[in-house]
Amino acid sequence: MFLTRSEYDRGVNTFSPEGRLFQVEYAIEAIKLGSTTVGIRTPEGVVLGVEKRVQSPLLESSSIEKIMEIDTHLGCAMSGLVADARTMIDHARVTAQNHAFTYDEPIKVESVTQAVCDLALRFGESVHDEDAMMSRPFGVALLIAGIDELGPQLFHTDPSGTFMRYEAKAIGSGSEAAQSELQDKWHRQMTLKEAQILTLRVLKQVMEEKLDQHNVQLAQVTRDKGFQILEEANLKEVIDEM
Amino acid sequence: MDHFPTNWGRPRNDLHDAYGTYPIHQHPQHAPKDAFADGVKRTQQPIVTGTSVLGVVYKDGVMLAADNLASYGSLARFKDVQRLHPVGNHTVLGVSGDMSDYQYIQKLLEELVIEEFTEQDGSILGPAELHEYLSQVMYARRSKINPLWNSLIVGGVKDGQRFLAYVDLLGTTYKAPTIATGYGAYIAQPLLRKAVEPYTDVLTEEQAQSILEECMRVLYYRDARSLDKFQIATITEEGIRISETRHLASSWSFAEGIRGYGAQTQ
Amino acid sequence: MFDVQSVAHQGPQSRQFNPYTENGGTILAIAGADFSVIAGDTRQSEGYSIQTRYAPKVFQLTDKAVLAVNGFSADGKMFVKKVKQRLEWYRHAHAKDMPIRSIARLIQTMLYSRRFFPYYVYNILGGIEDDGTGSVYSFDPVGSYEREACRAAGAAQSLVQPFLDNQVYYKNQTAGQDESFPTHLPLPSVLKLVVDAFTSATERHIEVGDGLEIYVVLKRDSTAIQSMEGVQEVTTSEEGQRVFYIRRELKKD
Repeated sequence: MFLTRSEYDRGVNTFSPEGRLFQVEYAIEAIKLGSTTVGIRTPEGVVLGVEKRVQSPLLESSSIEKIMEIDTHLGCAMSGLVADARTMIDHARVTAQNHAFTYDEPIKVESVTQAVCDLALRFGESVHDEDAMMSRPFGVALLIAGIDELGPQLFHTDPSGTFMRYEAKAIGSGSEAAQSELQDKWHRQMTLKEAQILTLRVLKQVMEEKLDQHNVQLAQVTRDKGFQILEEANLKEVIDEM
Repeated sequence: MDHFPTNWGRPRNDLHDAYGTYPIHQHPQHAPKDAFADGVKRTQQPIVTGTSVLGVVYKDGVMLAADNLASYGSLARFKDVQRLHPVGNHTVLGVSGDMSDYQYIQKLLEELVIEEFTEQDGSILGPAELHEYLSQVMYARRSKINPLWNSLIVGGVKDGQRFLAYVDLLGTTYKAPTIATGYGAYIAQPLLRKAVEPYTDVLTEEQAQSILEECMRVLYYRDARSLDKFQIATITEEGIRISETRHLASSWSFAEGIRGYGAQTQ
Repeated sequence: MFDVQSVAHQGPQSRQFNPYTENGGTILAIAGADFSVIAGDTRQSEGYSIQTRYAPKVFQLTDKAVLAVNGFSADGKMFVKKVKQRLEWYRHAHAKDMPIRSIARLIQTMLYSRRFFPYYVYNILGGIEDDGTGSVYSFDPVGSYEREACRAAGAAQSLVQPFLDNQVYYKNQTAGQDESFPTHLPLPSVLKLVVDAFTSATERHIEVGDGLEIYVVLKRDSTAIQSMEGVQEVTTSEEGQRVFYIRRELKKD
């Protein structure tokens, strides 16, 4: 392994002879260490779910924040280096607000995703006089959920700045098992409720601990209520129903 | 040495006192000055000026006329100045207003034409492109409150299209079948509208020339900053011709009969 | 006799370059239920001089928006150029034409960004909203704007607006017994009003005349334009709304 990748995995902006950017690939690997995160799109809206790894009984589980609001019609769940996501979400929020200010309309889900991905490749050596750039790629992947004039949409972004639209997507440590489960169970006419339950079932399958309202978080984006994170009470109801 | 104790220990290039720490009478007068600050001057008024330029569209192309005078106020200072400037093979620029700004525009256009030529991409700047370029230059300069003090007429023919347009120190632009700048806008423009506008597709070169000559004559009679020497530029599909300087015949004997002002006493 | 004393008393004179002028002309727009009419004369003048008899003041931006610009023509030309550039950038970034209410907001931000060296232009934006209704937005030079049913601006605003208030909003008119005024006028009546407004303004205002350009933005499925003489369709795409162009002569004196 070290023989084939020798030297070419040092610089963040050096292609290997096979045409690969190893640092970016390693960053994508880093996501696989993150907690499992699931997103499901339905005609009613989009559901996001994350596993919160509570490593210690002394840890306040409500302080783990892996789902965040971008705008009233946009939400985001993450897996990987959560700290990196703050930069991206901050940018997404500013972009969404600027768009609303300048154009008097909510920004499209794809546009805000594109704006976030524009940040992804701004690493490397900064040239003299230029604003200092990031020293390494982001170590986080995002599931961006939202509703616009094209309906409910779910986008996945990775550290290479690539984004794709999904009907249902899982990222993080349990993503392989979770994704195949989603492929089995997802169908086009899912209700929001069904999507919530499927999200929890998928998380439950890949989680080591027993799933409860403290170690998972659910959020959704719907037409009339926009983005909302489910209260623990509501979450418990869904878990009980599952 | 600095005799102002309030300046001691302070950076020497505090051009302004951001925190109001100096009493006004003590404000440092000896901060390093931009040695060229006094040298930066903007055109606040034109100095050496050219008067009207006329332009008409006729059957085979476009014709411009301008006299050969550059005035210094009321002094007829330079009497053999050409104010019709060919650009490439399709366009002539007629200039009134400040003559030094005119020379600067000539320099800009020369650079532009060379730059375009060296591209060797087969595209050639025509009158429409040059007019757009000059409009952007003039508007950009007015927006810096540092205008090029001119009224320009751009005339030309390219790809079978006759083109006649105006741009001035404010960046104001327009196209019309006849255009006159400066005093000519009041004296010659009405004459041109009557003689040219209904006939732009039938007027011959000779007819267009004699109309312009007649307008230049009227301007010579009425405009104190004009001259009886002028040139005509003719732009057709074949190319550009700028005439030799022509002399306007005029007769001032009628002035003897005028009573009521001037040297006469009765 | 030359008086040294009085010259000295005049003190220093400062002559400052004035970067603005006014180029006359008038524009107006009226919104209907499913259409919008935007019009302007084509005369450009400075002082008492007519510079040209044909300088367009009304510009088609998209298949649902038309912008009329009046005031200092050099600023107007630059402003329209920049708006069109922004619309193209938006198309590239968001893969759709900008909705008219977004264009209105964009124009506000563009005007206000020059708050301390304004574009000396009065804008009127007309077109079809996303919900299919006809709309008109009017602006002042620094970006104050509102959506209205009708608005006139420019040299003859003071002549045309009261006429529109009376004929479109029925101001100072009283409905007869068991009658009510319509909220929206049909297209033929609006076009008549527009032509009358401009012929009247031409009679009474020296800066108005020469030619009249009218744009009609029509909801795609509307049947308001059946057959009218001298109407030219200038729609650029199959989806979106339809746009028509009408030209009329005005007196040239």
